[in-house]
Amino acid sequence: MILPGPVVAVIRKDLTAIRRSPAVVAPMIAVPVLLLVLMPLGIGLAARAQHSVDISRVLARLPGSVAEPILRLPVSEQLLVLVCGYLLAPLFLIVPLMVAAVLAADAFAGEKERRTLETLLHLPIPDRQLFYAKVLGAFLPAVLVSWIGFVAFAVVVNTVAWPVLHRVFVPTRLWAVVILWVAPAVAALGMGVMVRVSARAKTAQEANQLGGAVILPLLFIAVGQSTGLLLVTVPVAIGIGAAVWVLAGWLIVRGAHRFTRDRLLSN
Amino acid sequence: MAAVIETEDLSRSFGRQVALDGLSLDVQEGEIVALLGPNGAGKTTTVRLLNGVLRPDRGRARVLGLDPGADGTELRRRTGVLTDAAGLDDRLTARENLVLVAGIRGLDRADARRRADDLLEHLGMGPLAGRSVAGFSTGQRKRVALAMALLHDPEVLFLDEPTSGLDPVASRDVIELIAGLAREQRRTIVLCTHFLGDAGRLCHRMAMLDRGRLRAFGTTADLAAGLWQGLVVDLDLGGPAGAAVLQILEAAPGVLECDTTPAGAQVRVGDRDAVPAVVAALVARDVPVYAAVPRAATLEDVYFAVQEGRR
Repeated sequence: MILPGPVVAVIRKDLTAIRRSPAVVAPMIAVPVLLLVLMPLGIGLAARAQHSVDISRVLARLPGSVAEPILRLPVSEQLLVLVCGYLLAPLFLIVPLMVAAVLAADAFAGEKERRTLETLLHLPIPDRQLFYAKVLGAFLPAVLVSWIGFVAFAVVVNTVAWPVLHRVFVPTRLWAVVILWVAPAVAALGMGVMVRVSARAKTAQEANQLGGAVILPLLFIAVGQSTGLLLVTVPVAIGIGAAVWVLAGWLIVRGAHRFTRDRLLSN
Repeated sequence: MAAVIETEDLSRSFGRQVALDGLSLDVQEGEIVALLGPNGAGKTTTVRLLNGVLRPDRGRARVLGLDPGADGTELRRRTGVLTDAAGLDDRLTARENLVLVAGIRGLDRADARRRADDLLEHLGMGPLAGRSVAGFSTGQRKRVALAMALLHDPEVLFLDEPTSGLDPVASRDVIELIAGLAREQRRTIVLCTHFLGDAGRLCHRMAMLDRGRLRAFGTTADLAAGLWQGLVVDLDLGGPAGAAVLQILEAAPGVLECDTTPAGAQVRVGDRDAVPAVVAALVARDVPVYAAVPRAATLEDVYFAVQEGRR
């Protein structure tokens, strides 16, 4: 997809400014490091230390499609694979949602707060392209941070598990679907909500507070359901991702159709 | 001469708040027109409507032959705007602010960088081009923002308070730059300002707004002629005129009105020919007259008269 020049220019301007903003960069680094490096490291080491524990009763409660492959493993590997391969998954979907929400909240409200919005609106970029540029300016870093975070997560859990498993076990095919398909959809959904909230709020903080009412339930759903996501088959995970994409796409396209400079200044 | 900007009954409200009500004016090519008025008069709304950022509720506008509402993107390629807040991103350097905005305008990156450096140099900001604007003074920010507005050689410039926060030397430089743009490059400029001195020096015509309505539009001389008959003469009497002196003045032939001033009195006469008779009347009553200076009405006189509703 070739983006129009002004869209690319707005994204480039936003990304340059984000890179120079410690208040934005710090949580974008700290949260993924905490969730995708430090917690898996700690939990993984604890699971490795307890690798001889019999978890067959826990596995018996899981759907057969998940439990069976784990039950086929030696007992010493079962806890590590269950924890690092399945139960840590919720942490993963928090990252794209959080990064997208933080950046999208800043999209218009941040411009108002910095008093740069008026200058932006007087530039020759059509309303719809401006909206999409702001959406992509939040989406691309969210996905990039998620993917870098996942690579770090995979390195950590495989390294932690290596003394017991002697093989690379993450990513699985299901993980790949979550990373490449579901996580970007979740990021897009967070943005679809937050960019519209941002257009109405006066400051990024207000946008975060207003958006939090919508984002937090989404976050709980994402956390609650993501473990389950890794307990389903690949086609079902693809279907769930598609549903999230459709919802996110609907929100973003509807937002773009309703977005005008006039409405932004009239609020 | 072609009108670059034309509006007819241009109006806009926000809810119940009327921001602009029936504005009709024209701006010719190469002309500098001032939008004058207190805060909330409708100056910023006018600029937003003329540049296609807002849409009117009623009336129409044409800028460079385009309808701002329908052809806003095309129009904004040919206009430049300096906003009141300067609109610079504190996280970027002065040069980055210009070059990244130039990218949105579709300028080639290398050309944009060269042009940005030239403009910053011209505005005395060359040595600070690579510094973050976060530490800049108001005057420095204004100059960077002005460079941003001029980056693409716009045919029409909308300048909102271009000299606020500038020291006298910088202010004079900016005024000369703006005057030069209109005079030598035939740029059309709409200047929103509170500084009547700047407007008086720079602008050909003044549009005086108040609570969204155009109260007066024209040159200072035309507006003064519409407001007052005759000529104002300052009389230096060596001190404020007392009641007796004011009585002499009121009785003098050709005097329309008179008032006391710290140096003596100010009289309004029908024309220049009445001045000798006024001086003679004072001298005949032993009132010393050190000077009698006819004075054209200033923009300040006109502005305050209009704002006070003397029309």
